[in-house]
Amino acid sequence: MIALIGQAGVLVALVSAVALVVLGVRSFLSGGEQAADQLRFPIWGLIGGALIAMGALELALLTDDFSIGYVARNHARGTPLLFTIAAAWAALEGSIVLWGLVLAGYATWVFRRLRDPDPIGAAALAVIGAVAIFFFGLMATAANPFTTLAVVPADGFGANPLLQNHFLMAIHPPMLYLGYVGMTVPFAFAIAALAAGDGSTAWLERTRRWALIAWSFLTLGIVLGAWWSYEVLGWGGYWAWDPVENASFLPWLTATAFIHSAVVQRRRGMLQAWNVALVIGTFALTILGTFLTRSGVVASVHSFTQSAVGPALLGFLLVILIGGFGLFAARGHLVASTPRLDSLASREGVFLLNNLLLALFAFVVLLGTIYPLILEAVTGDRVSVGPPWFDRAAIPIGLVLIFAMGIGPITPYRAARLDVVWDRLRGPLQFTAVTAAVVVLLGMRSVTALLTVGFGTLIISAIARNAHVTARARPGGYLQSLASLFRSDPGFWGGMTAHTGVALVVVAIAFSASFDTRTEITLSPGESAAFDGYTITYVQPFARQESNRTVIGAEFILYRGDSRRATLRPRLNQYDNQVQAIPTPAVHTGLREDVYLSLVRIEPESQIVTIDAMRFPLMWMLWLGGLIVVGGGALSFGAKKRTRETVSV
Amino acid sequence: MRRYRWFVVSALGLLAVLTGFLVANIGDDLVYYQTPSEVLTDAGRVGAGRFRLGGQVVPGSIANDGASVTFDVTDGHATVSVAHEGAPQQLFREGIGVVVEGTWDGAIFHSDSMIIKHDEQYRTEDGGVYTPDSRYPSP
Repeated sequence: MIALIGQAGVLVALVSAVALVVLGVRSFLSGGEQAADQLRFPIWGLIGGALIAMGALELALLTDDFSIGYVARNHARGTPLLFTIAAAWAALEGSIVLWGLVLAGYATWVFRRLRDPDPIGAAALAVIGAVAIFFFGLMATAANPFTTLAVVPADGFGANPLLQNHFLMAIHPPMLYLGYVGMTVPFAFAIAALAAGDGSTAWLERTRRWALIAWSFLTLGIVLGAWWSYEVLGWGGYWAWDPVENASFLPWLTATAFIHSAVVQRRRGMLQAWNVALVIGTFALTILGTFLTRSGVVASVHSFTQSAVGPALLGFLLVILIGGFGLFAARGHLVASTPRLDSLASREGVFLLNNLLLALFAFVVLLGTIYPLILEAVTGDRVSVGPPWFDRAAIPIGLVLIFAMGIGPITPYRAARLDVVWDRLRGPLQFTAVTAAVVVLLGMRSVTALLTVGFGTLIISAIARNAHVTARARPGGYLQSLASLFRSDPGFWGGMTAHTGVALVVVAIAFSASFDTRTEITLSPGESAAFDGYTITYVQPFARQESNRTVIGAEFILYRGDSRRATLRPRLNQYDNQVQAIPTPAVHTGLREDVYLSLVRIEPESQIVTIDAMRFPLMWMLWLGGLIVVGGGALSFGAKKRTRETVSV
Repeated sequence: MRRYRWFVVSALGLLAVLTGFLVANIGDDLVYYQTPSEVLTDAGRVGAGRFRLGGQVVPGSIANDGASVTFDVTDGHATVSVAHEGAPQQLFREGIGVVVEGTWDGAIFHSDSMIIKHDEQYRTEDGGVYTPDSRYPSP
């Protein structure tokens, strides 16, 4: 019964998506008069159908309806409530339902912002409808979450252990999807502008908030993913250039380039065609990311399934690339801008540098990510590209990028006079020099790390100086002016907040890459071992049975000198449905550094334990910086709207 | 788009050069994945740097002396002896799938990194691929 309702929801949404395309195109061709009236029913059908499908899936999971194959494979009676709810997007079919729902939500939001007449908006909704046809079409065919089993099992199998090991599994994927799917909106408007041959900045103005929201969610998804792999996966890192991590990073890079070049287009009317290309590329990269994640072509902790969805996604990717860039090649000149750059030494010049570097960065990461696929297709060799290759390529690009971040926001538009820039840079540079000297005294010797810390300091101190000078120049009290900076220009100061977060992140990366240590330690019960100024005492092993897993672990006490710092319990979680045990590391977070213990092995008889002990400096700064980046994105679209209209959804 | 022609041509040229440079640089960081059969038939792998070896641990072949462990890995056709530095993971046991990374000297594979194979297929107790029907046969 639930399966039937769910399937009906998928069909309603699919039919509505087709209607949305047909009516949207018709409205576009007839000038977009009363577009909202014409498109109301398809939108209602799309969002209604998507809600019914998601609701049916959740209902089936919550009521243990094992007649549905998806429920039987990804849920068990013993699964805790949170992971039961999250099971709706823990596997392939369900994640596509979530995708469809988020897409329908964005479509509804775009619909509510339609004007009259609105040919561009109608065409954009038609594009969103076309994307929705693909995803709801997948749900109706290759990735049907509502297929029923001939024989109903007494209990289900439970979700993938990796995914039911931590509460973040409930939020990390929806955040990423809100980011990924949100990129559809700027894409749809860019295609609409191309189709209309509209060379104005209207599509940019209209999609600014969606682009920022999608970007903020994508950033949050990436930060949460890094945190998850650090705190949960237990291999002792936050980023491994894993193909699926790259898949989320690639659209982030091009989307970041886009929100910067969009500023140039709005302020100076330049880079119009480039913006369209960036948006098409970003959307294509989100589909590529989904393809990499969901097709099983790459070996990764994230790739769960091999199915017909892979070829379908690949086909869709080709359609986007050929259709999008074909349209761009044919009609790009209609939206291309005429103003020329006055001088390379200007804010526009730095924005251009930023865009070239981000695009280059994306290209390099893309190359390293798909190289194994290409090589296997050509020679049959199975390979993976090691993190050192990515590091080598990312470090020089990243260094120039953060240098540009330091000087960009203080460089004037049009043509920058050197004395103006120098005046704004002198104070921050002095502060940076002092900081760099301190860091050298602390023992940092790597030139790369020193440059990173230096540029990071430069970014933050230049922003601080800028805020200080701007606030002092405004009438009224200094503190009041400082507090009202955001209201005066939320776009700029939101961006500066995000820059501050990025600076903290890169400094934290430089520190953790320079000063991290790791050792393997083997201990008998009661024994202690010295580790980098700490003493680790092994108390005893423990084991317990939980509803969905068996947990074995070992208890340690961490001392620094004579003072007891923490009791750490690294564990291995053995889920009933899989041979692979999932480690949960124990992390003691301090202001200076994290001490990180990951369990390797406990000998059953002798109780001798082997752990990986690791030390990572300044990890809190990495997570804080990441959240500040997200906050900066949110500020830049949130603050402005309060004065004009309330933000819905 | 005529005025962009030279820009596009030079950008594509730069990209091509860059790609060549990056790919030429990839060599040392490329980690190959091999099965025991491939290792034994490919003489070029002897002493040719690190790669990954995947297969199943042969029952009865495990010898553990505390600091290191030796065992045989098979793909059903050929068998390679592995000497692994360090303690094996908790779930290391006979018959389980492993991926080890290290070098091959022609007789023994010297490994310092071991992954217990993350098997995407759920298995039933007797080793068959799980389907709800196979685990819970109808009465």
